[in-house]
Amino acid sequence: MALDGVDFRALPGEIHALVGENGAGKSTLINIFAGRLKPDSGAVELDGAALATGSPYAALKTGIAAVYQSPMLFERMSWEENLALGGFGPRTLRNDLADAAGRARTIAAGLGFKLPPAGAPVERCSVGERVRLEILRALSFDPRVLILDEPTGVLAPAELEAFLDTLRRLRGEGRIVVIVTHKLAEAIAVADRITVLRHGRVAAVRMAVETSGAELARLMIGEVAAASMNAAQVPTRTSADDPAPIANRGAPALAVEDLTLVGDGRRLLDRVNLSMTAGEIAGVAGVDGNGQRELVEVMAGIRQPTSGRLRVVPDRRAIAVIAQNRDLDGLILDMTLWENLLLAGAVRERFVCRGWLRRSRAIAFCAEVIAGYPIRAAGAASLAVALSGGNRQRLAVARALAGEPRVLVVHDVCRGLDLRATAEVHRRLREFAAAGGAVLLISSDLDELMALSGSLYVMTRGRLAAVADGERDAERIGLLMSGAAAQP
Amino acid sequence: MLEAFLASTIAMATPILLAALGELIVERSGVLNIGIEGAMLVGAFCGLAATYFSGSIALGLLAACAAAVALNALLALLVVNFAVNQVVAGTAIDILALGLTGVFYRQWFGVTGSAITISPMRPIALGPLARIPVIGPVLFDQSALVYLAFALVPIVALTISRTRYGLELRAAGERPEAADALGLGVYRLRWQALMIAGVLSGLAGAYLTMAYANTFVEGISAGRGYVALSVVIVGRWNAWGVGAASIMFGAAIALQFGLQAFGSAIPYQFFLALPYALTLIVLAFMGGQADAPSALGAPYPRA
Amino acid sequence: MGATLTARLAAVTRSLGALAIAATTIAIVLLLLGASPLAVFADLWRGAFGNWLAATDTLVKATPLVFTGLAIAIAFQGALWNIGADGQLVIGALVAGAIGPALGGWPHPIAMLAMIAAGAAGGAAWGGLAGWLRARREVNEVISTIMLNFVAVQILSWAVHGPLMEPSRSFPKSVVIAPVAQFGFYLEPSRLNLGMGLGLVVAVGCHLGLFHSAAGFELRALGRNRRASAFFGIPIARLTMGTMMLSGALAGVGGAVQVSAITHRLYETMSPGWGYEAIAVALVARLNPLAIVPAAILFGALDNGSQAMQRADAVSPVLVNVIQGMVIIILVAFDALAARGIRTTLWGGAEGAGGTVATGAAAEAGDA
Repeated sequence: MALDGVDFRALPGEIHALVGENGAGKSTLINIFAGRLKPDSGAVELDGAALATGSPYAALKTGIAAVYQSPMLFERMSWEENLALGGFGPRTLRNDLADAAGRARTIAAGLGFKLPPAGAPVERCSVGERVRLEILRALSFDPRVLILDEPTGVLAPAELEAFLDTLRRLRGEGRIVVIVTHKLAEAIAVADRITVLRHGRVAAVRMAVETSGAELARLMIGEVAAASMNAAQVPTRTSADDPAPIANRGAPALAVEDLTLVGDGRRLLDRVNLSMTAGEIAGVAGVDGNGQRELVEVMAGIRQPTSGRLRVVPDRRAIAVIAQNRDLDGLILDMTLWENLLLAGAVRERFVCRGWLRRSRAIAFCAEVIAGYPIRAAGAASLAVALSGGNRQRLAVARALAGEPRVLVVHDVCRGLDLRATAEVHRRLREFAAAGGAVLLISSDLDELMALSGSLYVMTRGRLAAVADGERDAERIGLLMSGAAAQP
Repeated sequence: MLEAFLASTIAMATPILLAALGELIVERSGVLNIGIEGAMLVGAFCGLAATYFSGSIALGLLAACAAAVALNALLALLVVNFAVNQVVAGTAIDILALGLTGVFYRQWFGVTGSAITISPMRPIALGPLARIPVIGPVLFDQSALVYLAFALVPIVALTISRTRYGLELRAAGERPEAADALGLGVYRLRWQALMIAGVLSGLAGAYLTMAYANTFVEGISAGRGYVALSVVIVGRWNAWGVGAASIMFGAAIALQFGLQAFGSAIPYQFFLALPYALTLIVLAFMGGQADAPSALGAPYPRA
Repeated sequence: MGATLTARLAAVTRSLGALAIAATTIAIVLLLLGASPLAVFADLWRGAFGNWLAATDTLVKATPLVFTGLAIAIAFQGALWNIGADGQLVIGALVAGAIGPALGGWPHPIAMLAMIAAGAAGGAAWGGLAGWLRARREVNEVISTIMLNFVAVQILSWAVHGPLMEPSRSFPKSVVIAPVAQFGFYLEPSRLNLGMGLGLVVAVGCHLGLFHSAAGFELRALGRNRRASAFFGIPIARLTMGTMMLSGALAGVGGAVQVSAITHRLYETMSPGWGYEAIAVALVARLNPLAIVPAAILFGALDNGSQAMQRADAVSPVLVNVIQGMVIIILVAFDALAARGIRTTLWGGAEGAGGTVATGAAAEAGDA
């Protein structure tokens, strides 16, 4: 259950922050507000009138606009056309792009936003520009409620103050601004009230002026959950007592030298250097779309780097990859569980003899995996589509480890999982490292990164930069992630 | 000689161009319409049959459009609302159209034993323009459908690039769920596109029986709908490109008449195969899907 | 396993239901045309199974559909939309018919094998061309295979009017193939021959290959999720070429069998549209190679019966095309209704026919 009996109230003219851990239900809740999901029970009301849930456009029409981390833009159309398709576009026969662009410029100027060059297609825009475009398009509908999902991570610091001012101005106009964030200091600084979600329930509602970062952190993690987990697995904001495996204590496992990947006329990966040793967990932080996916694809061997080298000890087959999007890249939903296990080449070669599948052995192996993890499923011959999200990820982890790799590359491995499943995946990664494996943990979740990784890197625009020990705090890394603080 | 070749190029390009412009609109909305061959075929048959029975060209054209629109409505129901595989549904539509036109043709006209004919659509000479040497008769002494087809090229081009409707159409073809989230109505846009394509492919079919052959034989569309599909690819999903590609394919088809008349030693089958072989060769060099609408062919079941 | 059995039963029910609805609609069309549906269906049945000879001829007519049906099923399992089984069959027949007259003096079994190999080679080349265009030049295989159908027909026409034309040069047909290259009839006067037996063996082979081999596993993975297949290093280009060649070879063998067993020479028309009819066969069989055989017999019976129907009721045999088209339409509509909500069913997988993936869109849905 993603959400359980949540009561959420926002008042006209307030900025309301929604904070919580990964998997606490923040995304689910805002998806319901924005009409992208239908709740099993309960209702959403705006100004006393019930909203039709389950239709994004109905939500938009009644005045709820949302901006997501991965923007819903038309990649191959120009940014003006994208904005014209929002509320800027006059619904007349002629498609007056100049008019739409002009109106967008007015709002952008008020926000201090810099727009891309005229006529630029969205696919050429940076991640930050895309989010700004989406915010502009949301504002073009003149919404009563504006929902922003982690918007500040991709804004440059210079834009941040102007952006927070904008939020305050919108509040001044009597609108409701709901901001989803994991940056507690920011929540306290900008919001009037803060709702803390934990495990799909509302843990607390606090006035920003009456709470502190420490209190919010405690509410977010929860004392019960904290006790039930190994204390070391509780994400904390300090790394002093962190027993994460430390860099450079074993034999070399993985070396990446000057890895460069050029595609679409851009440097998707730009001279990436990285070395890992057995027993190490290295974390890569970064905003989505800065080359993480490409790095994973090169590691998986499905893209050839333009230049540079990737060495794995003893050879390339010792690497296992868990892709970011498990339903699209990781699983074939209408194939059986045992067939999904066989997708990984390292597993498949154990059950293929002269080109023929040894089906009964593969099915027996899958049954073992299901029982051993355990994965909640009807059996090895049931379809992957029948598994819950957590069980799908267990299957993906089980498959990666079943190939007995020496290096494990995982990308947002806990995204969307609940706390228990997250803790379990973290435990598996630690065990793997403790047994002499190397883990490259690519994640957009800073807390996860700080809790698990020994050495830490930040990825921006295809470049990988090491984070010095002295810089291991969320604010500093957040700045590095935004790409604004490249200089030390 | 040149004049005859050019005239026949225009005549051959016209049905392909009409159908391809319809297909262009449909594909820009994200639907791959393999059923276009079937729509042309029912247009060809119903146009001829209605003209034969009523004696009215106008009723014939109307019937051709209505039949093709009805067939496209069935396709729209399948590929838009039911979100079934577009290739499978389109191929089924083609087989169905081949069967239906065959059954009705033999039932209504087959017993007479001889091919039925109608008095065709007459060329309309555009005054003094038609008297210009060579290009006059080629370009300005043609059937009304020829003028319509070529006039539609700039109209479709501007509609797609400059109007609100074109913008929404492209949005539906690029990222349907984002378009729906903005309230653009992807199902509505795709239905409309398929209805417009129905009218155009009905006219394309009608041209074959009512302006060109003046009779009907089973399978008279002879793959021209499929050629229109290729024309859209070769034309890079752009009306101007589609216009140019249609003329190129029209010329390839016209070539068989010209060279056969020469009594060339090359077997006539070579010329019959030429448009299709040419399609393959051209696609091999520019068949890439890089310019295709991103969501083309992907079923979009609305949640 | 219980759930799987129920699912299979439901699928069979939908296949039969589609046929029933198609038949009902046809009856209405016949009424509109002024024919008596009951009489037409009775004649159809009589023509297909009315006596022993008719029944064996149904099997004979089903034989090419077994091969083209398998060709379609294999390709569609990998989401490769091969609409070109017709052209592949024609080229297979052409190559077999071209070498057939030269096989005199060869041992009988070897000559027959040579015919089959020739058909396979011709079909594989024709299918492989579309596979190459798809894998290396990004050409949509739907269009290329359709175009290749038209080209194949013209090549055949040229061959029987030109280099392969019989010596008297009065009719567009080729020289008779050597007697050792002919299959021969069992139980004359029926035309039962080796073809159907070969079809059964090939169907079993396809089943094993698809569900028990590593390559078959990769193909099914590719057909269901192209992105994941790419991610796990499945060799997509190689698999695409190989599958299109195999698919073409199967259809080509169908053409060779037709020449060896029935026509014994090439004519201007070698296929009445078996490659298109095969799409209906393959879909009714749910792309399952073993089910292709009964499905092919069903459509073979329709073809066979429709000729009797034409003689008795003056209803055009192209009525069979109407049935084929309707069966496909009703079947996909049924499946869509049954599977609504499961986005990665065969008919609505992560990748559509055009070879394009709405990447951003799909990722979006996956995150939500």
